[in-house]
Amino acid sequence: MDIPYEMPHCFAMQSREGRGRNQHALLSVVDDDESVRESLPDLIKEFGFAARAFSSAEEFLSSGSVDETSCLILDIAMPGMSGPELQQELKRRGREIPIIFITGQRDETTRARVLKQRVAGFLLKPFNDTDLLAAINTALQGI
Amino acid sequence: MNFGNVALAGPAHTRRPDMQAQGEDPVQEIKRLQRCINDLVSLLALPAVWSGNEPSHIVDVLLDALLRMLRLDFIYARLEKTVAAAPTEFMRVGDSCKCGLESQEIQSKLGQWFGGGSRESLPLNRNRLGGVDISIFPLPLGVRGDIGVIILGSERADFPAQTESLLLSVAANQASFALQEARLLNEQKLVSSELDQRVAQRTSELAAANEELRKEIAERRRVEHALRGSEQSLRLILDGIAGLVAIMGTTGEVEAVNRQVLDYFGRSAEEMKGWLTGDAVHPDDLPGVISAWRHSLETVSPYDIDHRMRRVDGAYRWFHARGLPLRDAEGQVLRWYVLLTDIDDRRHAEEALRASEGKLQRVIDAIPTLAWCNLPDGPNEFLNKRWHAYTGLSPEEAHGWGWQTAFHPEDLPPLMKKWQEIMLSGEQGEIEARLRRHDGVYRWFLIRAAPFRDETGAIIRWYGTSTDIEDRKRAEDAVLANERNLGLIISTMPALAWSAYADGNVDFVNQRWLDYTGLSPAQAQGWAWARAFHPDDLGRLNDYWLSTIAAGQPGEIEARLRRFDGQYRWFLFRASPLRNESGAVIKWYGTNTDIDDRKRAEEELRNAHSELARVMRVMTMGQLTASIAHEVNQPLSGIITNASTCLRMLDADPPNLEGARETARRTIRDGHRASDVVTRLRTLYSKKEPTLEPMDLNEVAREVTALSSTEIQKNGVTLRQEFADGLPPALGDRIQLQQVILNLLRNGADAMSTINDRPRELLIWTERHEGNQIQLSVKDSGVGFTHEVAGKIFEAFYTTKGDGMGIGLSVSRSIIEAHQGRLWATPNDGPGCTFSFAIPCTPKGLADSASRGRRVDSSADAA
Repeated sequence: MDIPYEMPHCFAMQSREGRGRNQHALLSVVDDDESVRESLPDLIKEFGFAARAFSSAEEFLSSGSVDETSCLILDIAMPGMSGPELQQELKRRGREIPIIFITGQRDETTRARVLKQRVAGFLLKPFNDTDLLAAINTALQGI
Repeated sequence: MNFGNVALAGPAHTRRPDMQAQGEDPVQEIKRLQRCINDLVSLLALPAVWSGNEPSHIVDVLLDALLRMLRLDFIYARLEKTVAAAPTEFMRVGDSCKCGLESQEIQSKLGQWFGGGSRESLPLNRNRLGGVDISIFPLPLGVRGDIGVIILGSERADFPAQTESLLLSVAANQASFALQEARLLNEQKLVSSELDQRVAQRTSELAAANEELRKEIAERRRVEHALRGSEQSLRLILDGIAGLVAIMGTTGEVEAVNRQVLDYFGRSAEEMKGWLTGDAVHPDDLPGVISAWRHSLETVSPYDIDHRMRRVDGAYRWFHARGLPLRDAEGQVLRWYVLLTDIDDRRHAEEALRASEGKLQRVIDAIPTLAWCNLPDGPNEFLNKRWHAYTGLSPEEAHGWGWQTAFHPEDLPPLMKKWQEIMLSGEQGEIEARLRRHDGVYRWFLIRAAPFRDETGAIIRWYGTSTDIEDRKRAEDAVLANERNLGLIISTMPALAWSAYADGNVDFVNQRWLDYTGLSPAQAQGWAWARAFHPDDLGRLNDYWLSTIAAGQPGEIEARLRRFDGQYRWFLFRASPLRNESGAVIKWYGTNTDIDDRKRAEEELRNAHSELARVMRVMTMGQLTASIAHEVNQPLSGIITNASTCLRMLDADPPNLEGARETARRTIRDGHRASDVVTRLRTLYSKKEPTLEPMDLNEVAREVTALSSTEIQKNGVTLRQEFADGLPPALGDRIQLQQVILNLLRNGADAMSTINDRPRELLIWTERHEGNQIQLSVKDSGVGFTHEVAGKIFEAFYTTKGDGMGIGLSVSRSIIEAHQGRLWATPNDGPGCTFSFAIPCTPKGLADSASRGRRVDSSADAA
């Protein structure tokens, strides 16, 4: 199936070669879905990054990993604080970490709303690893 | 004739000597003597002639005889007065008389010579008479000439001769006798005539006296008769007098009484005589009566006193006693007439009048208004106490024209002008003016005057009242202000307002109505307002209005009203009746409110609802899909991620086999997970376990009908609801049951979408079913279904609708069966069919609820 995704800011796609530049960058995965938390960090590690998983935005915020996180892979719809709300909170705190939103909802309204803010990537589940890597590289390149 | 006794006539000395002595011729003498004897015989024959004649005749005859016999110149006779006659004179003048004197002259001459003297001394001589010597010879008649005298006159100087004397004597004697006889006869006649006269007179007197007497007697009789009659009349009168009459004697005793007295006292006349001593007069009045009566009798002055007298039945009544004396010609009192008049009623009336006058005065002073009385030309005569108390003016200050000062200076001129007009017109009139109270405060009064006339119709007084209308005037002002306010409100309020008579005829529309429709007031009256309505709505509106009027109940209806620019807008017409005390409608009041925007909004809302419903339906599907997708996406996502990781791990140098194995394992696991999701979802979708709780099926159904009514009515379908009262609560899942009811309603509406020849009617009702179940039914008048399809309609995916999905009824049936209920359909007697479901009621105990996993809603107890 063809899963569309937006590529903001017209940055060029980063290939696997770019992986050495941001070695050991920490990527935090925030998703209430257990299977995501189970599978995604391993893929990220295969990319060559460090990865941590959190089950909720609150958990992430209180984890102390906020300052260390170079990129956030964030689910949109979560019980409690949602993905966009976490984005607002980080902005309020002055820690604008590059965010890649991942979601299972194909909701136009949500997508439009989310894309009003600055995001590094927006992926619809299920997404392939290539698209994910490209988004990560975009995010780590700096906004 | 007795010669012998006859004296020769005349005195002796007067006798003349005989002629013989003088030497006369014997032949002549014999002739003379013969002549003398003849004369004597004649004379002696005279009495026969004289017999029965009057003296004057006797004398006449005698004188004529003598004159002739003696050839006298004149002869005069006088008869003396007799009883029957006055003195008479005779005169004859002979033819041979030469004296030339008239008889009158001779007579007067003789009168001279012989008049008045003694007859015995009559001169016998020659006298000159008229130039001639005349021998005058008087001849007395009667004894001493008391009868009369004859005077002869002759020119002869020897007159009278002896023989003549003899003749004369005889004549005198004869005459005297005759005259005497005549005289006596006359006297006798006279006397006898006198006697006759006397007798006649006496007779006539007697006759007259007789006549008088007869008349008197007749008169007396008449008088007696009249007296008797008058006595009777008197008695009648006395008895007829409206009073008690007593006739009292001079000493005051009772002589007679009229019938009234007898009737009044019940006593006889005899008994009445003792009136001063008995109880006829009231004991308190008796002393006064006695003394007054005595006084009147003694002083003969009119008796006048009021006293009480005892009637036969014992009651005392007041009488006015008046007594007057009857006097005779000398002024002596004959008797007293006393009249007693019953004044008891009058006295009582007087007392009553005094009392009523007193009362009237009190009334006039008590009535709660100021009252007054003016003279016909305007000035005031009397003001009641209240007037004085109110204004603080004394009678002296206010009478006449003084009352003017009590009025407000601005109101006084028109008041006076009106007063003049009223007096001139002679008709009742009124005017309002401010009257000053004693404390200086002016209050509005209504002054009214009415004329009071006497028998001739002339106005003798003006009576009037002055009534305090200050409060009324204030109230009137308030009412006027209110009305103005009301008018303003009616004109200003943002609604079109109108009123109509009980029969529906419009009599008033407010300004907004006129401004909105652009009609004139005339165009809006009666039934003309109808033309302002949309032709499509007019019939419906008219029918509704007529039925509302007939029912007399408030009503409302929506219809389109044309604006002044021709545009039609929806209005809500509401009318409310105004009733009188007996409950009859006397007026209709209504408002027309512009609901066009609201209606459009409603329309849009309905559309939005429909859209929403559709969208919700769609969304539900979408949501379902999304939910499915989401549920499936997660394991799928995991699979792809893990598989990607696995490949990378195998591509690593050296390959991460352990990692690859792990990720492969996860992939398989996620695959299963995805399969479970699908399975679960299918189960979820097709047989969701209902959440059963007690609920009021009527309320549940009403929510559905409320939500869907506009949508249904939009399609020209009339929805009627007849929910039974007193249904016990049913056990059910609210949402699911609502889905079922909605499904049934939509199906019913859809079944009638092609019907045009009969009303599209949906009927939904509830009732008890077979004891412990509640049934809900939806009946339509649509196309219905044949027996062939009867069994198929509940099958999944069976539809007769072009755009239907065919899941409605099958899902509904599933839901109802999950409720331990039953859903079925029956064709109607008429067109269309009826779908019904029945579900169990709440059991008395809730013992089963726990085992079924029901949630017990605490509010269900109130259901």
